[in-house]
Amino acid sequence: MDESSNHARQRRQLLKASALSLAAGGLGAAPFFGPWKLNHAWAQAAGKKPLVIGLTMDASGQYAASGGEERLGAMMAIKEFNEKGGVLGRMIEAIHMDTETTPATGSRVAERMITRNEAAFLVGALHSGVANAISQVAQKYGCVYLNTNSSSPTEAGVNCHRVKFVWDGNGTNFSHAIVKNAMKVNGKNWLLLTNDYVWGHNTSKATRAIVEANGGRVMEELLVPQNTRDFASYLLKIQQIKPDVVAAAVGGDDVKSLRQQVVQMNLNNKPAWINNQQDWADVYGLGPDHIFGVFGTNWYYRLDLPGVKEFVAAYQKAYPGVAMKVPGNCYYNGYMATRELLRAVERAGSTNNLKVIRELEGLQVSAKDRMQHFDAYMSPTTHQMQQTIYMATYNDKPAEKDDIFKMLTQVPPQEVEDKEAAGACKLESYEATPSYEA
Amino acid sequence: MTTLLPHLVNGVSLGLLFALIALGFMLIVGVMETINLAHGSLFALGMYVALFLMAPRLGVFPELQAAYLALPVGTRYAIALFLAPIVVGIFGMALELCMRRTYGRDPLYGLLLTFGAALVIEELIRIVWGSNEKQLPLPEAVSGAVLIGDLIYSRYRFFAAGFACVLIVLLWLFIEKTPYGAIIKAGAHDSEMVRALGINLPRLRLFVFALGVGLAAIAGVVMAPIWGVRPQVGVDAVVPAFLIIVLGGVGSLWGAVIAGLMVGMVVGITGAYASEWSLLSMYLLFIVVVSFRARGLFGKKSVLDT
Repeated sequence: MDESSNHARQRRQLLKASALSLAAGGLGAAPFFGPWKLNHAWAQAAGKKPLVIGLTMDASGQYAASGGEERLGAMMAIKEFNEKGGVLGRMIEAIHMDTETTPATGSRVAERMITRNEAAFLVGALHSGVANAISQVAQKYGCVYLNTNSSSPTEAGVNCHRVKFVWDGNGTNFSHAIVKNAMKVNGKNWLLLTNDYVWGHNTSKATRAIVEANGGRVMEELLVPQNTRDFASYLLKIQQIKPDVVAAAVGGDDVKSLRQQVVQMNLNNKPAWINNQQDWADVYGLGPDHIFGVFGTNWYYRLDLPGVKEFVAAYQKAYPGVAMKVPGNCYYNGYMATRELLRAVERAGSTNNLKVIRELEGLQVSAKDRMQHFDAYMSPTTHQMQQTIYMATYNDKPAEKDDIFKMLTQVPPQEVEDKEAAGACKLESYEATPSYEA
Repeated sequence: MTTLLPHLVNGVSLGLLFALIALGFMLIVGVMETINLAHGSLFALGMYVALFLMAPRLGVFPELQAAYLALPVGTRYAIALFLAPIVVGIFGMALELCMRRTYGRDPLYGLLLTFGAALVIEELIRIVWGSNEKQLPLPEAVSGAVLIGDLIYSRYRFFAAGFACVLIVLLWLFIEKTPYGAIIKAGAHDSEMVRALGINLPRLRLFVFALGVGLAAIAGVVMAPIWGVRPQVGVDAVVPAFLIIVLGGVGSLWGAVIAGLMVGMVVGITGAYASEWSLLSMYLLFIVVVSFRARGLFGKKSVLDT
């Protein structure tokens, strides 16, 4: 074999190897290369086995920023319980593994946490596909799982499980809160911009149903593949179709790019933009022009309600070095979910999963305790927290640098209820759910 | 045709930007036969260095800092566009020095090293600048939209596409029309002979690697206002860059440019007419081309080809 053939073969080997490593690794999202981050944050209580909580948050991929935020929220709730002696006299140990915004990784992480790390409970989700994957594994073992921030209507609908509890408002809740009003103000011709995965599809489906039920028309639905960075072709299409309203169900890094490019094409004022749900981490740091349109959220750090200021101060004291100087909705959901789980364990007087599930199914939380405008309750038929939904827009008169949302209105949970979810959700029976004591 | 035209314009501009992203990657692969998996992270580093250069916060020399910040945004943007690739290029030189032990060994060593470097750079960015989204301020002259008939298009995209064209031509002139370019090409073709002629090969490799990394950084600065600035943005650059250089033929400048344009057109048109296929379309294009022409569009014929 001459030198040139050697040369060519080497080059082929090199290309093959690099293609394989790119495909397998996705650079930074590598299942085998980590980072597998273990947070043995709390010392073990003398003589008593710690209660292990597995944190299944995304630390890489489309929802990395929001995943980091909700993890801090869960850690704060755990810290508060540990400071008063843990739960049932046992200290709580948190283990975090990156679910990489990838359903397959979510399954693997859940399996590993339950079987190898003996996690008593799992907490955390942004991406609805990941949440669904984790909950299937959790149901197999009977492990109680809190879906903190993924809001596809299917999570408390067709993909509900006895062990799973959903803490965020879902796409249908937000659509109920926003769509009718937007039709009155902006017009009846709508275009749907839909992230091409379970959350986007089901959120747009809910929006479409409400638009059509109220005499509106969906002119077009454009599907946006996950990890899309260039929206120019979508925006040109929007210019050509000329809808009155664009309803975007686009999340994570995708919506950050979308917002920047909408402004560059001067489309931020016309048509009207509705973003079903706007996670705090996805707009924090953006300029005023980029926070256009009307969007939904379930909490804001400047709500004028008892306890909010103290909650924000506790965050700032605990996490002085973080990029986000004030907590957002994902932090709030992570905190609330974990706090209510640990309270449920205390009330049950046991870590038995079925007892904890019964406690959570009957959960009612006062508005004051949740720092929202209306009382909240866990639906026993869908396992979704029914809560206040807020509509917001950019705050053109901010009281401080981070005060970027102007809250337009708050809607009680009864008015935004996802009525279809109860019909679609078929919870497994208690008998079919494995029982365990952590 | 009137409805298709905006999408064709968009496809061309997107294609030029894709080509820009792939240029540095192509240079390093073509000349040094090293797959630089840190290309995406260096692209991201370029964005962050530019961000720093737009509004430096050093905590020392406050008067100097205030005077610098008083400069027009356009001037600071030009400084960032000029200096960011130099700074990142110097960083690239340090990386190349680390890579020297991998030369002549199994290519996996180089891959692993650059893969590790990618993770380290991304984490460094998180530590220094934080993980949340940032924005690169733009001069007024290239901000906002431009109205052409019924078409509203981003002025910055026209600027970015034009800049990509200029850079492609300059790189071509450098490689094809200067003695330095001739040495680089000779080094790629037969490094032993180049060494025998008295050319300092390690220095040549150092320069080529720095140039490739600098090009990655320029692409990062140019793409920052379009894609946004976040630590993990490099992943979005390295995958299309890899695809484009293989599609165009490894080591071919014009191959990379034409492949970039093809990818841009395909992604742009499918985005408009079959949006759910827009990302997948580039991979389908790749499969089709490579199925018929394994060495890419302008790749040199291998002895393994019959």
